[in-house]
Amino acid sequence: MRDTLLAKFAFRTLGRNPRRTLMSIIGVGVGCSIVLYMTAFTRGGAEMRIRGISESGFGHARIAPATWDKTRDSDLRLEDWERDLDIANGMAGVKFTAPHSRTTALLAFGTRVAGVEMLGVDPESEKNTSRLIRVLSEGRYLEREDEGAVVIGTAIAERLEVELDDDLFITIAGAGGEMKYAMLRIVGIISTGSRTIDSTICHVTLSEMEQLTGYPGVGEITIVFNDPSYIDALTVRLGELLEGPDPVVSWKVVIPSQGGDMGSDAVFMNLLVGVVIVVAVLGVASAQLTAILERKREFAVLIALGMKGGQIVRLILIEAVAMGVLGGAAGLVIGLPFIYPGATQGYNFADMMGGDFVTEGVLFDPIVYADMGMWLIPLAFGIALFSTLVAGLYPAWYALRTNPTSALSLREA
Amino acid sequence: MNTNLVDVKGVTKDFHNGKITVNALRGLDLVIHEGDFLAIVGPSGSGKTTLLNLIGALDVASSGDISIFGHDLMAMSRKQRAELRLTSLGFVFQAYNLIPVLTALENVKFVLELQGVDGGRHERAMSILEDLSLGELANRRPNEMSGGQQQRVAVARAIVARPRLVLADEPTANLDSENSEALLVMMRELRDKHGMTFVFSTHDPLVMAHATRVVTLLDGRVVSDETKNAGDAAGSAN
Repeated sequence: MRDTLLAKFAFRTLGRNPRRTLMSIIGVGVGCSIVLYMTAFTRGGAEMRIRGISESGFGHARIAPATWDKTRDSDLRLEDWERDLDIANGMAGVKFTAPHSRTTALLAFGTRVAGVEMLGVDPESEKNTSRLIRVLSEGRYLEREDEGAVVIGTAIAERLEVELDDDLFITIAGAGGEMKYAMLRIVGIISTGSRTIDSTICHVTLSEMEQLTGYPGVGEITIVFNDPSYIDALTVRLGELLEGPDPVVSWKVVIPSQGGDMGSDAVFMNLLVGVVIVVAVLGVASAQLTAILERKREFAVLIALGMKGGQIVRLILIEAVAMGVLGGAAGLVIGLPFIYPGATQGYNFADMMGGDFVTEGVLFDPIVYADMGMWLIPLAFGIALFSTLVAGLYPAWYALRTNPTSALSLREA
Repeated sequence: MNTNLVDVKGVTKDFHNGKITVNALRGLDLVIHEGDFLAIVGPSGSGKTTLLNLIGALDVASSGDISIFGHDLMAMSRKQRAELRLTSLGFVFQAYNLIPVLTALENVKFVLELQGVDGGRHERAMSILEDLSLGELANRRPNEMSGGQQQRVAVARAIVARPRLVLADEPTANLDSENSEALLVMMRELRDKHGMTFVFSTHDPLVMAHATRVVTLLDGRVVSDETKNAGDAAGSAN
């Protein structure tokens, strides 16, 4: 080992002024812990958002008709939905699939009416992909063989003043443009706890939808992946497998505002992280520079002895790495006690949001859990090492500029 | 016939401090021969340390020529001068300047590590320390040693790489006469044993007494150059 003494020299130097070293390590540790906390919270928030979107029936991705992305026309249908469904179900990484079809409908009971987007579902698949249908307040959910049956949300039921087993009068625009009418019996009423969501739920079976609209097939297939971390890659992969006219789009395309919100959250958090790192870097650089100034004569002697620029930089950077490792460990020690309660008990935003935690048909869990995992360890050490190494660059450059003549004369030291 | 180790010709060195220019060396000529035990003396400001800095490749002359071991020092790059200091020059400083966080042994080994010596560093460093009767202090840090002991370790560090030329700036300034005498005797023995050349910048009469040659500077020029006859120098074996 060529640089054994250089490393020993660097490590022991940290012990020369223990108070300053300790303060620097704590400084890096505090900065690091703030970054860890913010990142854990951001990741937890993103995970909650994606889970909320998925469990609200949007899934992680969707096989949609070719022009759906531009027109958002609910009457569009897939070219060959059964083939698409088979391919999706056969792909590794796909957990659940659920075919849907949609149309705009007018519900009436007596003199009361309500406009809704009616959703055609395969009841068995829907149970896997949507948690909304698991909160029935009355009756039951749809079954495949149901005919003339509908499940609605409580807000619609209250508006129309209907009960279980009442018959709703449905008006829709059919495939040929003509108005179509039907009577559907209410077999279940869903209460999600959100009036906003409950005022949109109106489910019928796929076959019922086909019969009502005259449009054959389904309009979309909702996909849920095993691991939400790979949504983008799996979406691309499924698109490649399908090789058909119907594209696969991720939830970010289905609900672009949610994707935008998540993106802006990430940018904001990254900005904060950047500010924290800059502050930490400046603090450590200041302490390092002071240390270098105090050791000016020592560097002059080292240069006089023939130490080369690269070796001086290495010496200072080894010191920085040692401080970074200790700072990273300090960051974990300081940060984990704050992250752990967030990961186990979560933060309840229900009061802050004032009731429903709903946007664009997505029912979010008001409790956000911090994401705590092994990923915190490399992040802690990565941030700490990055900070101390960057902080060491200017002091290293300053040390390189030391005039070695001062080593030979006390006057010039 | 003595070999010329260092040849200084018409060297000037100016220092600028704002509008004030200080002419530290004013056309200095000096030849240092292999095996010299040379004391450079003179009053403060005469240019002793400046001359040592230039010969030691720590600074660059304003004009003139300096040849060291046949190489033109003025034409060397910063990196080449660093290499020259590492491989061919040894330094002993007035304030010892040992690395405080390393032991005596590590201070000596450090020079070998800088040189990139892979094997036998420990043995070589320990051997030098034992030669200088410092074996028992090998694992002590500088703050656990007396001034005299530290200066001896500094000498060990200066000579461990077997440099041809050792430059010492006021090496006895912080030592009492007993330690100074011991240090000078030791250096003379090293010169005799290894054929090293020693150049001192000093005010100390004891160093002058031990020197085989005394060069006196005044106002940046050599005003006298006295070579003693064999056996005249204090501590001489002859």
